[in-house]
Formats: sequence, structure tokens, C-alpha cells
Amino acid sequence: MQRSHDHADSGHGHDYHEHPAAPMVEEITDFEVLEIAVRELAIEKGLFTAEDHRKFTEWAEQIGPAAGSRLVAKAWIDPAFKARVLTDAIAACREIGIDWAEPTGAGTPSDYMNLRVLEDTPTVHHVIVCTLCSCYPRPLLGHSPYWYRSPNYRRRLIRWPRQVLTEFGLSLSSEIEVRVEDSNQKCRFMVLPMRPEGTEGWTEEQLAGIVTRDCMIGVALPHAARTSDEVRPMHKARRPVPQAGRHGEAGRR
Amino acid sequence: MSGSQPSAAAAAERKAEPAPIPLLETLRDEAKTWEKLAPCYGVTNPDPPWKVSLDATCECLADSAVLPALERRHAEDRLGETVYQGTPGPEQQLLALAHIMLSRGLLSEEDLARRMNVVRLRLEAA
Repeated sequence: MQRSHDHADSGHGHDYHEHPAAPMVEEITDFEVLEIAVRELAIEKGLFTAEDHRKFTEWAEQIGPAAGSRLVAKAWIDPAFKARVLTDAIAACREIGIDWAEPTGAGTPSDYMNLRVLEDTPTVHHVIVCTLCSCYPRPLLGHSPYWYRSPNYRRRLIRWPRQVLTEFGLSLSSEIEVRVEDSNQKCRFMVLPMRPEGTEGWTEEQLAGIVTRDCMIGVALPHAARTSDEVRPMHKARRPVPQAGRHGEAGRR
Repeated sequence: MSGSQPSAAAAAERKAEPAPIPLLETLRDEAKTWEKLAPCYGVTNPDPPWKVSLDATCECLADSAVLPALERRHAEDRLGETVYQGTPGPEQQLLALAHIMLSRGLLSEEDLARRMNVVRLRLEAA
């Protein structure tokens, strides 16, 4: 592959970085080679184009939890829809435009089509995990957060769910039963949290705004005052780059 | 695409007992799977970098109706429980996809072996 630029001669190479590069696997495996070979042959045979592949890759890397939020909000407003969510979640997903079998639009990259939505009640709280790896309902929630994939969360949630939930800032009364559902390669789970007080009369769109990703994993509860799209605090740049840019800084080392 | 009838190829696959494919058997080195390799280099990403590309390939094949997603998933399940039992997730999905494409004649074993050599030389070029 042709290099996009030559670090050795550019004067802005890696020697000047203050932080070491993130570790990476420094060997080429047969699996990596196989993936490329299959893709290239498929493209050469006209089964799809390189542009198709690029689009799907770009899309798959940016999916988020908005679809899950819509599902929960609609279930809160429409009891009949909620019943369908709890009995046949895959079919209910199609009603909000998510088809787990379709790769287009808001569909899914290669997830298994067995979804169970777990309804929280005043006495039962659900939280999901994948103890084996990082199985996650991606068509609804997008990519899993890093902590969901960490051994810390995966190992400890099963044994000490209340302790782990407390670390997320969620302290539940001892009267509330905590049920941990372990996802696996063939089945995905998602939590349907209880609709919080103070949201009476809200529209579906307003409700969707407070259903954050963590609420659907079960490590947080939705609140009327907290939305998933709040403006985040900004850190001011300590060493802002001049208008001319780094390349214009002659003699800088 | 979803809800459509399974293809003749899928129906035939369900009847036949999955058999190993020699080329793919040579690739099943457990020590080189991501879950074994990543910790050796201090890498914490749960999936190999090629996983998203593999997913996109699967979606492209489904989108062009060459290999519908449901058919592939069912075939993956069967192969995962038989030929590729014990192989971890991403590698199992990759081997299963290659297996399905080879058994359906979408690729030939010779072409794939040849292309793998070309790709390997390219990636290892100094």
C-alpha cells in the first residue's frame, strides 16, 4: 500500500509526538489476509463494489443508540406497542424502522436476530452484560461502550451487581430485585426502563431525549431533567494552534 | 430481503452435513486469533481491526442479494456448531463466510489461496 506521507522527511514525524502511540498488533495473521482476499475477490467478481463496501463500513462505525431511545419512548406512550415489544421485539423494531435482517438504513451489521426486551417494574431492575465477549444489541444501541467490554464489568456484574451499579451512581433500594441478563452469541437483550415522573404529557420525541444508552443497558435510570443530547462542557485549548497551522511554524521543534 | 423464502442453496446446505474445507483448515491457528494475540501486544480493543470490514462485506453481499443476511446467519450457526466449533467469534464468522462462499461456488479454493498469497506479500512488503 502506498504511504500517504513520509514521516522520515516531513519534519512533523512521530519523533515530535509527546505521547507514545497506542499499542497495536505488530504481525499479519492469516485471518487478516483471508478477510482482505475474500473482499477483493468478491469485488472483482462484481458481487459488490469497493464504494458499496466503504459506505457500509463508514455507516457501521457511526451507528448510535437513537433507535433504542425511540423504541422505549414509543413503548411508554403506546401500551399495545409495548406489548408487542415484550412478546416479539424483532417485529416491534420494524415498526420504528429497524429491520434486523436488513443491512440498509438503520439496520444492523451482522447481529443475531433474537432480541428480548426486559421490562423494569417498581420491584425488578434489569441490567445486561455479556460475560463471554461483548454481545450487544447494536441495531438499537449502536456500538457498545468500552466499559461494557471490559473484564471488570463483565466479571463483576454477575457476582456483585449492586456494587457495580453503585459505581455507575445507581443505588437501588434493597427491596428492588436486580436481575442480570447475560447476552450471548445467539441472543441480545435490552432494558425497557420505567417512565420517570415529571414526564406526563411529553411527546414521544421529548421522551426519547431522556432515554440514554446507559438506561437501556441498565446502569442508569432515565430522569426528566437529563437528556442524552445535553451540551457538553468544553475544555479550552491550552496551546491553540495559530491560524497559519502547524506546518507554517518554521523552525519549530 | 427479510422474510423471503430461503434459496435453493440454503435448502441444500441445511440437508448436507457441513464438511471441512482444506484451505480454511490450514488457517485455524488458535494462537493467532484476536483474543490470544491482542493481549500479547497490550491491545485492549475487543475486536480485530478487520471485523468492521468483514461486517461490511456481509452487508454488501446481503444488499446485493448474493447472500441474504438470514441465510448467512443460519449457515454461520450450523458451521459454528460443527466445523468451526471452538473458534472464537470474529474468526468463526470470517471462516464461516469464506466457507459459505466456497461451498456455493461464489469463490474457488484455488482463487482464494492464490489471492491470499498476493495479499500476504503485499502486506509484508517492506
